[in-house]
Amino acid sequence: MAEPSKGLLRAQEIYQDRSQRALELREQGKKIMGYLCIYPVLEMMTALDIVPYRIFGDMREPITRADAYMPSVNCPFLRSCLDLGLKEKYDFLDGIVTSHICDVGSSLSGIWNYTVRTPFSHHIDTPHTLHETSLKQERGLLEDYRKALEDFTGHKMTTENLKKAIRVHNEQRALVRELYELKKPDPPLISGVETIRVIKAIQSIPVDEGNELLRDVISEVKERGDGPQTKSARLLLWGSILDDTALPEMIEGLDANVVMDDTCVGSRPYFNDVEVTGDVIDGLARHYLMDIKCPRTFRTRDYNDVRKDYMKDLEVRFSYLSDYARDWKTNGVILESVRYCDTHGYDVPGLRDYLDNLGIPSIYLEHDYTEGALAPLRTRVQGFLEIIS
Amino acid sequence: MTTEAKPRALNRLQSMYALRAEVDKMYEGGVEASEEGRPVAWVMLEGWSNAILNAMGVNTVFPENYSSLCAAQGVATPFLERSEAEGYPTHLCGYARTCVGYSSRMVELDGKIPPEAPAGGMPKPILLVASGEVCDARFKWFQSLGRFFDAPVWTIESPYPGLRERLTEGAHERNVNFLINELKAFVAFLEKLLGKKMDWDALEHTGGGTNEINRWRWEINELRKARPGPMNTRDFWSAVTAALFRGAANPDVITKGFERMYDEVKERVNNGIAGINRPEKYRLSFEGLPPWHSLGFLEQLAERGWNFVIESAYRPPRPITIDLSKYSDPMERYVRRRYRRLEDSLEEDYGPEEAGLIIDEILCDGVSRRMGLRHIRDYQVDGVVLHVLLTCRSTSAGLNLLQHRLLDVLKVPSLVIEGDIIDVSAFNPAEALRNAETFEETMDHYRKVRKELGMPW
Ligand code: SF4
Ligand code: SF4
Repeated sequence: MAEPSKGLLRAQEIYQDRSQRALELREQGKKIMGYLCIYPVLEMMTALDIVPYRIFGDMREPITRADAYMPSVNCPFLRSCLDLGLKEKYDFLDGIVTSHICDVGSSLSGIWNYTVRTPFSHHIDTPHTLHETSLKQERGLLEDYRKALEDFTGHKMTTENLKKAIRVHNEQRALVRELYELKKPDPPLISGVETIRVIKAIQSIPVDEGNELLRDVISEVKERGDGPQTKSARLLLWGSILDDTALPEMIEGLDANVVMDDTCVGSRPYFNDVEVTGDVIDGLARHYLMDIKCPRTFRTRDYNDVRKDYMKDLEVRFSYLSDYARDWKTNGVILESVRYCDTHGYDVPGLRDYLDNLGIPSIYLEHDYTEGALAPLRTRVQGFLEIIS
Repeated sequence: MTTEAKPRALNRLQSMYALRAEVDKMYEGGVEASEEGRPVAWVMLEGWSNAILNAMGVNTVFPENYSSLCAAQGVATPFLERSEAEGYPTHLCGYARTCVGYSSRMVELDGKIPPEAPAGGMPKPILLVASGEVCDARFKWFQSLGRFFDAPVWTIESPYPGLRERLTEGAHERNVNFLINELKAFVAFLEKLLGKKMDWDALEHTGGGTNEINRWRWEINELRKARPGPMNTRDFWSAVTAALFRGAANPDVITKGFERMYDEVKERVNNGIAGINRPEKYRLSFEGLPPWHSLGFLEQLAERGWNFVIESAYRPPRPITIDLSKYSDPMERYVRRRYRRLEDSLEEDYGPEEAGLIIDEILCDGVSRRMGLRHIRDYQVDGVVLHVLLTCRSTSAGLNLLQHRLLDVLKVPSLVIEGDIIDVSAFNPAEALRNAETFEETMDHYRKVRKELGMPW
C-alpha cells in the first residue's frame, strides 16, 4: 500500500478535496460541525469531540441556486456558500454554527435554516463593540452555545476537556505562527499560495490532525531547496475572505511574494492565544470578542475618552499591520475585498490614511469572487509593483 | 363644453403636510443650535439614543434622512462623486456615501455648511452616535468619518440574536440587562462629554413621547385595514420621518400631528374614501426601504388602481401595557417599555394558538415560515412589491426568501423591483411599470387560488 502523503502535498490534497477526511470521520461515527467565518468558538466543539469544519464557497463554481434565495447585491462569498449548501455539497454536516460576522452573515443563518436545513444549528450574536457590557454579553452567549452543544451531543462539557481543547487549539495557533516565521527570510521559505492551501487544509480536519500536518509542513519547508525565489516586492495582503489561491497565484506570478497576510484564511485567527483563565469561558469570550482583529468589530482608542484623535485611533486599529510590515519586511500592501463586503469596505480609506502616514504604499482591489474577475486586476497589480520597486 | 381635470391618482392626506414640515424644522433647529453654540450630534436612527440625547439638551440630526433628502432634491450626485474620490468603495450604502461626500465638502469649507446643502444643511457635530442595530454600515460609516471630524463616535450596541437563541432560557433577561448597562455607559460618556448630569425626568418625557407617537401611528395603521385602504404608503412615508427623525422637537407636537392624522384617516374610513382617487383594484404591501427619489412612481401605479395599503419599513411597534411600577431605575423603565420577550410579542400578534405553532417552528427549525407575515393577511394584500436595493444589504438580503414564504404560506405573489435608496439610475421606471402590468395577471391568478383554498381574501 502506498504511504499516505505528508506535508505540503497532503495540504494540497486536502485543499483540492476538502471533505474527504470529514466523510471518513463521519463514517466512524464522529459528528461534523460546519461553521462560518472565525467567530464560532472551535474549542467548545473540540472539547465535545465534534470535528469543526469551516464552510467555504467556491469561486470556480457559478452561483446558480442561491439567486432564488439571496439577491445578487450581497456578499458573493456568502451567496456561494449558500449555493453549495443548496446543491447538497454540505449534506454531510451534522450541524452549523454561525455568528454575527456581518449583517448578511447573520441573515444567512436564517436563510440556511429555511433552505438547506442542516439538522443542528446555533447562532452566536457576537457584539460589535469592546464595551465592558459587550464582553459580559459575549460571555453569556458562549454559555448558551455550550449548553446547545451539550444538548446536541448528550454529553457534558467538562472544564478539564475545555482546557485541554484550548491547549490543543493554542498549539495550532503557535504552529501557524511558526509557519509564518518561515515567511520572514528573503526569499520566504513558503509562498502565499502554499500558505492558503495549508490554512484551508487545517480548517477542514480535526485540530490534532491539523497540528500534525503543520509540523510536517514546517519541517519540510525548512529543509526543501525549491521554495519561492527572491522577487522585487514583498507584499502584505489585507482583506476579506480569500479561500482560493487564485488571487495570490496571480500576484506571485508577477514579480512579488506574498510574505504576510491579514485575512481570515491566513494569519487572522491564529496570532493571539486564548488565555486559560480561572473561569475558562472568560478567556474564550475575551479572545473571540477582543483579540481577533477583524473590521466587523468597532474598535477605538478608548471608548470612554471624549476627545478624538484620528491618527491615534488608526494606530489602535491598525498598528499590528505596521508591525507585520516591519517584521516581514514588506514594501507594499494589497488591500483586497469581495464586492459588497461593507465591514471591510468602510475600513479602506482609514487604513490607507494610516499606511500613507507611515510611507507604506498600498493599493485597493475589489473583486466579485469569480476567477474571471481577477484577470483585469493583474494590470493594476503590475502597475503597483512597478511603482513600489 | 368644459372637461373637468381628472384628479391626481393619489389621494393625499392633508394632515401629512404639517408632519412633513416638522422634519425641515428639525434641520433648522440643528443649525440654530449650532449657531447658538449648543451641542449638535449626528445620530443613526435606532430608537434608543435620540430621547437620551434630547433629555441631555443635545440637538440631533439624522444623516440617513439627510441623504435621502439630498437624493429627493437631486443634489446627491456630487456628494457621491466626492465619496468615491475619497477612496470609499462604490458598493457601500448610498446614504453613507452621500454623507461622506457632504462631510468631505464641509472639511473643504473649514467646517461650514456647504451652500448647496438642502434644508439648511447639517451643522458640524460634536458627537457621532452610531448604531449596531440593523446594519454594519451604521457603525462602520460613522467610524470612517473620523477622517473628517474631530468628534468622538459612540456605538450603541443592541442585541440581535437568532430566533431560537432568543427563546433560550435566560436570554431575554440577559438582553435587557445588556441594553440597560449599555445605555447607562452611553449616559456616563455623555455626562463626561457635556460636563453635566443626565436629567432623568426629562428622559421620562422624551422617551415616553416616543411611545405616545408610536401608539398613534399604530392606531392609524389599524385603520388602514379598511376596504378601500384609506391611506396610501406615500403618505405613510411622508409622515413617518417626523416620528423617526424628530430630533429635538417637542414630542407632544409630533404626537398631536399624528392624532390629527388619525382623525383624518378615521373620517375617510367612515366615508369609504380611499388613499387613491381610482377604484381600488389591487391592495399591495411595499417591502423594503422606499425609493425616496422616485416616489412619483406610486402615482403611476395608483393610476392602475394599485393601492399600497401597508409597508414593512418603519412599521410602528404594537403598544404595550406593562406594569413599570416595580422598576424604580429610570433606565430600566426606559428599556422595558420597548424591549419585549419574543414569546409575548408573538402571543399578542397572533393569539396563543398560532403563537404556539410559530414557537414550535422556531424551536425545531431555527426559523418560522409564518412569522412576520401577519400584516399581509390582516390587510388582505393581493401582491407584494419587494424593493431590492443596490447598496443596502440589510434590507435586501431576506427579500428573496420572503418571496418564497409569501407564496408558500399565504399564496400571495410578489414582484421584485430593483433600485437604490440614492442612485436614481439603478431604478428603471419604464421596465418596472411593464413588469407591474404583467404582475396583475399573477395577482388575479392567486386571488383564485386563495379562494379555492377557502382563504378569506
Ligand atoms: S467577506 Fe465581508 S460580507 Fe462576506 S462574509 Fe466576510 S465579512 Fe461578511
Ligand atoms: S439599513 Fe441600508 S440604507 Fe440604512 S444605513 Fe444600513 S445599509 Fe444604509
